[in-house]
Amino acid sequence: MWHIDSHLSDQQLLLDVEGELSARDEKQLRTHLEACWKCRARRQEIEGAIAGFIRVHESEQNLELPPIAGPRALLKAHLAQLSAAAPKHASLWFPLPRGFAWTLAAAACGLLAMGLLMARLGGRTNLRAAVVSVPDSRLTPGAALLVSRPAVCSQSNTNNKPVPIVLQRQVFAEYGITGAEPRAYEVDYLITPALGGADDIHNLWPHSYSATVWNAQVKDALENRLRQMVCDGSLDLTEAQQEIATNWIAAYKKYFHTDKPLSDH
Amino acid sequence: MVALFDQFRDRLLRYLLSFGLTIPDGEEVVQEVFLSLFQHLQRGKSRENLRGWVFRVAHNLALKRRYQIRRSLEVMSEPGGAEELAIDPAPNPETQMVNGQVQQRLAAVLKALPEQSRRCLFLRAEGLRYREIAQVLDMSLGAVSLSLARSLARMARAAER
Repeated sequence: MWHIDSHLSDQQLLLDVEGELSARDEKQLRTHLEACWKCRARRQEIEGAIAGFIRVHESEQNLELPPIAGPRALLKAHLAQLSAAAPKHASLWFPLPRGFAWTLAAAACGLLAMGLLMARLGGRTNLRAAVVSVPDSRLTPGAALLVSRPAVCSQSNTNNKPVPIVLQRQVFAEYGITGAEPRAYEVDYLITPALGGADDIHNLWPHSYSATVWNAQVKDALENRLRQMVCDGSLDLTEAQQEIATNWIAAYKKYFHTDKPLSDH
Repeated sequence: MVALFDQFRDRLLRYLLSFGLTIPDGEEVVQEVFLSLFQHLQRGKSRENLRGWVFRVAHNLALKRRYQIRRSLEVMSEPGGAEELAIDPAPNPETQMVNGQVQQRLAAVLKALPEQSRRCLFLRAEGLRYREIAQVLDMSLGAVSLSLARSLARMARAAER
């Protein structure tokens, strides 16, 4: 492709430096470089120019960026506020207002705190020690990680990891059951991590052990079924997450074609 | 979402500062980018090449923000003066003294490059591959490699002088 008499262009040399050539082109170019001192010297000049650019670029951006913790917390607060306010039958996430500004985010944090306080002081207290089979969608809308289907399906261990005690207490507090016996509930993931569910309070809820019909064992069966369908390609991962987050009992009825849990669940 | 934010925030912010935005403006744009990403995924759209996607949105938002700043400065100040003050990223005289002569020449070449060529370099410096740069700047792959090759050739010439 390239002859010794026709030197390589800067563009070709740069593509080689950058590893952007196809294997075939790269082989031909290397053959030329082995024979051509001029092109080799030019290649080095290009690498030198890259190094020079980086030095200039870094000196011009010689700013210490602020720590990431603040902006991260701001983003989480806004997302959490939006998730907490999600309507019951809406999809997992819902559209956000445009033109977001710091002031709006600060207001979002305030609203979130106020909302949680009101939830605790308001009608939640009548949930104290109640049998909980279905999560409150305002408190537990579900939250999922950005994972692909292959990543989900390649997990060898699909058992849910234990929820830290501190997080369990927060869940009980949100559901107004702080006075109840903690051992009466399993703090469960709404979207199981085996389906990409997040380790986040908006994805956790207190599932009563005393729920005799729609209990954790039944939900486990649904999770296994959905994961199997996602991995064999018969169900989209996002759809599975949304169905289980919207109403896991309805999803069970849909995918097991039954109105009540099967006897072996 | 938060993991992606952790992965890209610094690189996005540095890229945004290259538009002459202040850090608070840049942080605000980064937040907007991730809220847009949230919407994008909520609508069930593609999760392919999210790095290219976030940089493209950041690029467009930065252009918009810079335009707004320029407009407001045009209204508030005399034409030209304040605008240059706001967007000129040139180092101050003290820094220039510290820099070597070669570095000053390279800086001058970089500053004189067309905006699109500088964007190619900045995006490449943040680790984007050519295909992603083409996506962000809406250019062909060939145009990206040609632009980078020309810019680097100019810088190589400046370093030789």
